[in-house]
Amino acid sequence: MSASALPRAFLAMLRRDVVLAWRRRGDALLPVLYAVIVTTLFPFALGPEHALLARISGGVVLVTVLLAMLLSLDAVFRGDLEDGALEHMLLAPQPLALLMAARMLAYWLVTALPLVLVAPLLAYMLGLDAVAQPVLLLALLLASALLDLLGIVLTALTVGTRRSGMLLSLMLLPLAVPVVIFAAGAVGAAQQGLPWIAPLAWLAAALALALVLAPLACATALRIALDS
Amino acid sequence: MSLHAAPADPFIVARGLGYGRRDERVFGPLDFSLDAGCIALVEGDNGSGKTTLLRVLSGLLHPTTGEARVLGAAPGSEQARAGCAALGHLLGLKGDLTVQENLALGTGLYGAREDADAQAMLEHAGLAGYAHEPVRTLSAGQKKRAALARLALLPAPLWLLDEPYANLDRNGIALVNALLAGHAARGGAALVTSHGAVAFYEGVGYTLRLGT
Amino acid sequence: MNAFKLWYHKLGSPPYFYLFAGYIRPWLWGIALLLAAVGLYGGLVLAPPDYQQGDAFRIIFVHVPAAWMSLFIYGVMAVSAFIAVIWRPKMAEVLAMESAPIGAAFTLIALITGSLWGKPTWGTYWTWDARLTSELVLLFIYLGVIGLYHAFEDPRQGARAASFLAMVGAVNLPIVHYSVVWWNTLHQGTTVRYFGPSSIAPSMLWPLLVMTIAAKFYYGASLMGRSRVALLSLERGKDWVRAEVAGAPAGG
Repeated sequence: MSASALPRAFLAMLRRDVVLAWRRRGDALLPVLYAVIVTTLFPFALGPEHALLARISGGVVLVTVLLAMLLSLDAVFRGDLEDGALEHMLLAPQPLALLMAARMLAYWLVTALPLVLVAPLLAYMLGLDAVAQPVLLLALLLASALLDLLGIVLTALTVGTRRSGMLLSLMLLPLAVPVVIFAAGAVGAAQQGLPWIAPLAWLAAALALALVLAPLACATALRIALDS
Repeated sequence: MSLHAAPADPFIVARGLGYGRRDERVFGPLDFSLDAGCIALVEGDNGSGKTTLLRVLSGLLHPTTGEARVLGAAPGSEQARAGCAALGHLLGLKGDLTVQENLALGTGLYGAREDADAQAMLEHAGLAGYAHEPVRTLSAGQKKRAALARLALLPAPLWLLDEPYANLDRNGIALVNALLAGHAARGGAALVTSHGAVAFYEGVGYTLRLGT
Repeated sequence: MNAFKLWYHKLGSPPYFYLFAGYIRPWLWGIALLLAAVGLYGGLVLAPPDYQQGDAFRIIFVHVPAAWMSLFIYGVMAVSAFIAVIWRPKMAEVLAMESAPIGAAFTLIALITGSLWGKPTWGTYWTWDARLTSELVLLFIYLGVIGLYHAFEDPRQGARAASFLAMVGAVNLPIVHYSVVWWNTLHQGTTVRYFGPSSIAPSMLWPLLVMTIAAKFYYGASLMGRSRVALLSLERGKDWVRAEVAGAPAGG
């Protein structure tokens, strides 16, 4: 295999997923719409009191983004399983982990990035302090990437099953707990004017680790889930 | 690459190869080998394990008895995958991509044969006017032709084809046979399954009968 | 060493394991019941009431062993799961998958007894205490493993996928625990320390240890029973199962 084969395959895969998402761009916007709807419901449930909403805004936006990602995670491999494209990925001469890394990046660009971009607006609507806004954005960038990596590994595990939606939430929740704690911790600290870098540094460290391990784990999980 | 490395070695060697699901035999035990330039036919009724045999050889399933070597390595290993291309019941074409984009994806993942020309191949496959049509608008037979065109562009010397004749008209069957002839002439080998209802390729090296 | 290896390989074969499990199961049950009786008598009758909590503290003789077992069983499951994923022996898959429901049950017992204990001590059944919260997340991990196992049509495939998830959970569990502890100090400031190692009197300690050992034997007994049933189901169609099922009415 020539040296250019790996980047070529990575780019082919990335390009494929982005083009596919673009051809169905209406679907890609649904999670964003979902996040807007959920955030809008909070003031109706809790009352429009500014101090209360401002206090919970960071946490609400984080959890909403997490749920919106979870909503579309289930479909990551479904289409490829149904039309046989997944088997071609398994049989391709490149390491499966490399192709999975491309899928993870594509999924983040297509699903998570729009959510991250709309999040500051949602936080502003709930009254998050301006000083905490950049921290929220940074926390969301790290947390969404981490959830993207972990979520796709777990989705790969459920590929061979019939019903996976609820199960996936149950499986992802324990992995999401530390991510939410650290991301919300950083935003909370920024709101109170405290140093917020430490929890974000932990998230970044976890992300660095996951960037290396998650594609490998995803490849292993896929092979387990499809071997019958 | 394996083409020139060791032409004397068989592409596939199976010794006592068998597969069982929940301890029930699906096929085997089988002993056979496939040499370069040879096109072998796998014949058997529905449920005789033809598809399973190809899945075992491609490394998607682990054999339960015996062993197989594909291009001198374990099935599914990186070395085996590098020289092996498969076509299954599910074609692996993305409906929202055009025919040409699907072909480009195939060569992106597997690499392209040096003398391969996507446009000429599409014409050869009878899809000349369809390069920029989304695959989902094609008929079942045209999808099969697109998948065959993609296969023929790849450099892999070993083809594992599961029912390549299904869904094809007379011209399509001739196309499969022409592709197999070209592949064999280049020194490639193929294992082709069929339940035995059509006119196959005439240069079949031998026939492997399953399920008796 | 050689004898041990031979024994290990024999245990890996389902018919032999089935016999072995059937043989030791009554013994494990007997020891578990005996120890539980001794431990409960020591804890509920002999141990003096706590000077602060009165008789309410006696729930620790159930709560603490259950909480320890929830982690211990996870450890056993994770090791079996690791072996199942790497070397794929059938017995490791069975042991890992049959451990999960027992571990989940112990986790649930720990949660329920913990919240019952919380009412007299903290004045509420549920508080987001670091230990209780970690235990709740552990329950979710167990449920995820069990759910994934049953989501597959082929039990062996399900066992391997769920084993992989159990390994992920084993890495995640300490991370959850430490992040929850950090989160807890962040938001509450004070953690209720209800169980320091030095504060326990010997008259309370020995029943606690006896109960812990009883719980381990119960786990062993339950695991052997569950594994026997799982093996009969997995290996149905094999000669030894046919013989076992056909012979059962005649033999006993």
